[in-house]
Amino acid sequence: MTTPDSELPDNFGEQFLDDYFAECDEHIAAVRRHLLALDQQVGEGRIDSALLDELFRSFHTIKGISGMVGFREEEQLAHRIEDTLRAVRQGDLSVNVDSIDGLIESVALLDRRLAARRSAAPLPVIPDESAAATLPPDAAAGAAGTGPLLTFTIEFTPTLALAERGININSLRARMQEIGEILKSTPKVKGQGEISFQFQVRTHVDLMAQPEWNSEGLQTKAEPHVPDTHRPAPKVASNVVRVDLVRLDELIRIVGEMVTSRARMEDHVKQARKNLPSPEWRALIESTQTMARQLRDLRDGVMRVRMVQIGEIFDRMQFVVRDMARESGKRVIVDVVGHETEIDKFLIERLMDPLLHLVRNAVSHGLENPDERRSAGKLPEGHLTLRATAVAEKVSIEIADDGRGIDVERVAERARATGLLAPEVPLDDARLLEVICYPGFSTRAEADRESGRGVGMDVVKSTVEALTGTLSFSTQRGQGSRFCIEVPLTLALANALIVSVCGQTYAVPQSTVREVFEVDPSAVRALERNEIIAHRGNALPLFRLSKFFKLSEPNHWGRRFHVFVTGTGNNALGIAVDRIVGHQEIVVRTIGDSLVQVPGIAGATDLGDEKVVLILDVPALRRSALQERMMSVGNQA
Amino acid sequence: MLRPLAKTAHVLVVDDSPTMRRMIVTALRGLGSVKFSEAGSGLEALELMTLTPIDLMVLDLNMPEMHGIEVLQFVRAHSTYRRLPVVVLTTRGDEASRSEAAASGATDYMTKPFQAHELLELVRNLLPQSKET
Repeated sequence: MTTPDSELPDNFGEQFLDDYFAECDEHIAAVRRHLLALDQQVGEGRIDSALLDELFRSFHTIKGISGMVGFREEEQLAHRIEDTLRAVRQGDLSVNVDSIDGLIESVALLDRRLAARRSAAPLPVIPDESAAATLPPDAAAGAAGTGPLLTFTIEFTPTLALAERGININSLRARMQEIGEILKSTPKVKGQGEISFQFQVRTHVDLMAQPEWNSEGLQTKAEPHVPDTHRPAPKVASNVVRVDLVRLDELIRIVGEMVTSRARMEDHVKQARKNLPSPEWRALIESTQTMARQLRDLRDGVMRVRMVQIGEIFDRMQFVVRDMARESGKRVIVDVVGHETEIDKFLIERLMDPLLHLVRNAVSHGLENPDERRSAGKLPEGHLTLRATAVAEKVSIEIADDGRGIDVERVAERARATGLLAPEVPLDDARLLEVICYPGFSTRAEADRESGRGVGMDVVKSTVEALTGTLSFSTQRGQGSRFCIEVPLTLALANALIVSVCGQTYAVPQSTVREVFEVDPSAVRALERNEIIAHRGNALPLFRLSKFFKLSEPNHWGRRFHVFVTGTGNNALGIAVDRIVGHQEIVVRTIGDSLVQVPGIAGATDLGDEKVVLILDVPALRRSALQERMMSVGNQA
Repeated sequence: MLRPLAKTAHVLVVDDSPTMRRMIVTALRGLGSVKFSEAGSGLEALELMTLTPIDLMVLDLNMPEMHGIEVLQFVRAHSTYRRLPVVVLTTRGDEASRSEAAASGATDYMTKPFQAHELLELVRNLLPQSKET
């Protein structure tokens, strides 16, 4: 028996490091998901052996590819975990809370090692001990009982013609997994030496009633009985291609430039109207419009490639919650909604720390310990809800707890004491959020900031806003708190309103605009130093862009003007511009140089006429308006 | 029924890890004009074999859905593929795994991590063309 143990010649494995890290990431994400499921199953006293198989296989693969890239310690660590899992699988080791803790720790260590490898940082030390605690064996088996289901045998005979039409094992497997569970898959040799494949599928769908399951190359038969012992086929997506985000960004940049060129072309075509016979001119216009639609499809297609499911992030949160609950003696049930919601990978990576902070806050400050909950007449288990929803061009991520809520009076007291809030101004949810997100603000000496975490509420808010998102908040004493982060689906391209103020043109990201309307100057009322207008039965504070950018031209006063509304409820603000010129898709370019960063400006774009137009930083404008309002009462006094 | 001999040798790499597949294919680039196909599972490999003739298979053992040994047994039980060279490439270096693979009809056996040039040599010697000359 010879195991090659020497170093690989000319660093053969090194050229695969990108693939290696990406594949390890996928496995670790899957492992996390499976460990969570296992943890739950241990609690319920049943263990699905398929889950153990999947875990085993992930570590087996990590071991294999770590060895190839020359990462011996990671190979060893994966090997140790694999051994532990083998022992569990064979019944030599029982799974309990402690052994799962051991596994989780090992996975975290592996993850940290890989992160350090990737960034060439100092490597965390792997302790010289077994991956999981050892305990006497017990019976660990039994699949969950399910309702009445139908079982079918599907026989598939592949042919080149079918393969050319995209019908093959992988596409078929995906279709079967969509409708049910694959119980068994076996290859068979037919009379002429042809190979066919037999799948046993359990599903709620009656496949016999669907002609597509009895078409060319496919034969489906109903099975009389459901076998007891089965191993569900793992959801292997082997037709996945990995793409470097940088390459996608490049594609998106090119698509963006095409969008701009097309707009320019349409302008030229419009100008050519008088020089061209009508039919030709109309054909040209139609072509440019078709191209606009195709470009939108192309953009959407490229964008879809950048999307990842938020579930992976939520799974990580669950580990954090699990650890914190363990340490603090709190009981926390995590409810995840919208696991499959897709979000831009770039966005979610930047949102990771803010989300972690909100989750940690909810568990350590929001949720009470079981005794406190009982005496408040609540169930001892606190609920933490992680919810993601995609609406139109936006994704909203909500983190809600049913804990004690924020003591608004205490926050108000402290905010007034530190001069953050004028004495007469009431502290509504929007102002409360401003106050708790104020850098360094805390009602506790140190407890509000998890030591060493490096992120505070101020960072949460500024990160969300830097991503052109919004953070909203509501709290109710004794009922809990709820944070909601809303970000655009994607950043590189945005729909924008083009507005004009005192001869200057600006672009306003449409995701920040609720509505637009025209105002007669006589409708503006002055309230102390602020201007307000009546709108939909409420007083809408008015914020003049001309004033903010000090563009004011006196002769503009007295004319009708346009207002766009941003924010809702008490948080709504009307931003006044001279007029809204139009609506256009823009390519967002952030201004990286801090020397040229201007308050209220988020970036720049080009509207197709090769002139640079500035993009308004609406969250910053709102901040500035709110600060003015919060302090104005105090200043008057 | 004779399998037509492919002009360019066709090597099928079967491994559930895409990174590992890339490594294997890269290691075997030195074979020259060889066509590679990749399969991420045993079933996929068998499907591929029915659609296009192959000259050699590099086979992982621990794979989902269908273990490498099962693939091997199936291949050997089929008249068309009885003589197909199959190189088992696995992280399992123990004697039991080796003898199981040999008993199931593996032509050769190599453990991971593998040396690129060793795999290349091994495969070169098993390809039909080199045998004929």
